[in-house]
Amino acid sequence: MSSTLIQIERWRAYLRENRALISHLRRDLGGRRREKRKTSTEPNPPLPPSPSRTPEPEPNPPHAKLAREAADASAAGADAAAPVPEEAVMGEAAAAAAPEALLVEGGGGEGMNPNPSGGGGGGGCSESVSVELSMGGDYYHSCCGDADLDLRAPEGPKLPYVGDKEPLSTLAAEFQSGSPILQEKIKLLGEQYDALRRTRGDGNCFYRSFMFSYLEHILETQDKSEVDRILKKIEQCKRTLVDLGYIEFTFEDFFSIFIDQLESVLQGHETSIGAEELLERTRDQMVSDYVVMFFRFVTSGEIQRRAEFFEPFISGLTNSTVVQFCKASVEPMGEESDHVHIIALSDALGVPIRVMYLDRSSCDAGNISVNHHDFIPEANSSEGGAAAEKPYITLLYRPGHYDILYPK
Amino acid sequence: MTSSSSPSRKALSKIACNRLQKELAEWQMSPPSGFKYRVSDNLQRWVIEVTGAAGTLYAGETYQLQVDFPEHYPMEAPQVIFLNPAPMHPHIYSNGHICLDILYDSWSPAMTVSSVCISILSMLSSSPAKQRPQDNDRYVRNCRNGRSPKETRWWFHDDKV
Repeated sequence: MSSTLIQIERWRAYLRENRALISHLRRDLGGRRREKRKTSTEPNPPLPPSPSRTPEPEPNPPHAKLAREAADASAAGADAAAPVPEEAVMGEAAAAAAPEALLVEGGGGEGMNPNPSGGGGGGGCSESVSVELSMGGDYYHSCCGDADLDLRAPEGPKLPYVGDKEPLSTLAAEFQSGSPILQEKIKLLGEQYDALRRTRGDGNCFYRSFMFSYLEHILETQDKSEVDRILKKIEQCKRTLVDLGYIEFTFEDFFSIFIDQLESVLQGHETSIGAEELLERTRDQMVSDYVVMFFRFVTSGEIQRRAEFFEPFISGLTNSTVVQFCKASVEPMGEESDHVHIIALSDALGVPIRVMYLDRSSCDAGNISVNHHDFIPEANSSEGGAAAEKPYITLLYRPGHYDILYPK
Repeated sequence: MTSSSSPSRKALSKIACNRLQKELAEWQMSPPSGFKYRVSDNLQRWVIEVTGAAGTLYAGETYQLQVDFPEHYPMEAPQVIFLNPAPMHPHIYSNGHICLDILYDSWSPAMTVSSVCISILSMLSSSPAKQRPQDNDRYVRNCRNGRSPKETRWWFHDDKV
């Protein structure tokens, strides 16, 4: 069928355009591994941190919490000020210092990861990991809990879930002594964008950026027809979940809290709110987390509904099935988002998203540009109009993190 | 309704309370097979009887799970432990703590008590030997004063059991 062909073409285009990204993802995974290993005080040899499996019917594939601060710090290069385990920072920085090498690896071996990743770990490949994986089946080392360690490690001051609007110059200042490529890219970004809003790096930053950006857009435009359109999409998402076998009570609270926010930003009701209140709510743990979870349900439902479409990309990146991927990398809070999640959310809700990539990749020497990708929702037979729309949500991506960008 | 044995625990939020009432109603309509909810008026602590599946090492044996719900359930995972005596299993410590990722880092609000129970039964069913985890004694010794397994830093690296 032609639509299938188009989808395949789309994937190919993503793969072609985004080799750099894929290699970033792999590098990120490597960073996470290092980070997580660092937390162990076990005298035993390090064990593979991410592969975690639960017996059926709740399969639990790879799961790796993000060492987000490490990624941020590495993006900031030498400016790293965050309290990050040294090893992680250095590891990331070292990896980042050789993007070309990684690009070659990514370009040559797409989808042909030689690492068997028997434990279902992420697609990253490093020798140490495969050595560890070979121990994964060693029964007597199969379980360990460390009660000596207190989970509540001291934490530095945290950013709010969503920060205040800042001029783009603060980004330039942050990278002042960082990579010249990044400095150049920030200069280029400044030609089109004049402000940014940071989000907390807790693995939910994509969803929170999307939440705030979308609701702020509705608040500013008062676009009633867009609200009606997305409400219809949300209804479809509900049906998708029910069709997939989700029990309604597991997701209804999350849906209704998002719908409440949507209705609140439309003016003229008793419950209407302004910009300040919107920011407050986005920072409120309960509202914010429930909305994040709403997006996670929607994303998971869309990926599973179109499993055939998403399967090649998911199996290439993580060696897990579509359902395992959703249970392990979409539905739990704090699990990071990448291309797959963004495509799914954008398609499911019919909202186009632009992502500007602030990374160290450069095409040719002396020819630097800021890559971007527009996620345009799959043309829906019933409403082709939305697909042609220009994105009004722009996110700034740095390896492992999303913030909100504001055009001039 | 706070439980008597852990008085410091915060009461369920309104949203958690509603959700649990729905879960309980659903459970009573279609309980997962092999499990029996022990009737109580404490919505925040469920005690559930689990019977080992036929044809497994635990066939016919009965154990008790204690499920405690935090204030912000289901955003936060429930605390699930086996009451004494806990089944002999390579991922179950003698103090009842269970090494299972979905109870900790991989918890998602999309899960339910029922889906957690099914995972635990499945974990029991796939056990190759009635054994304690290798580090049982050290772990249990370090879990003084009724420490919650949610405060443990768990490693999950066995995809066989």
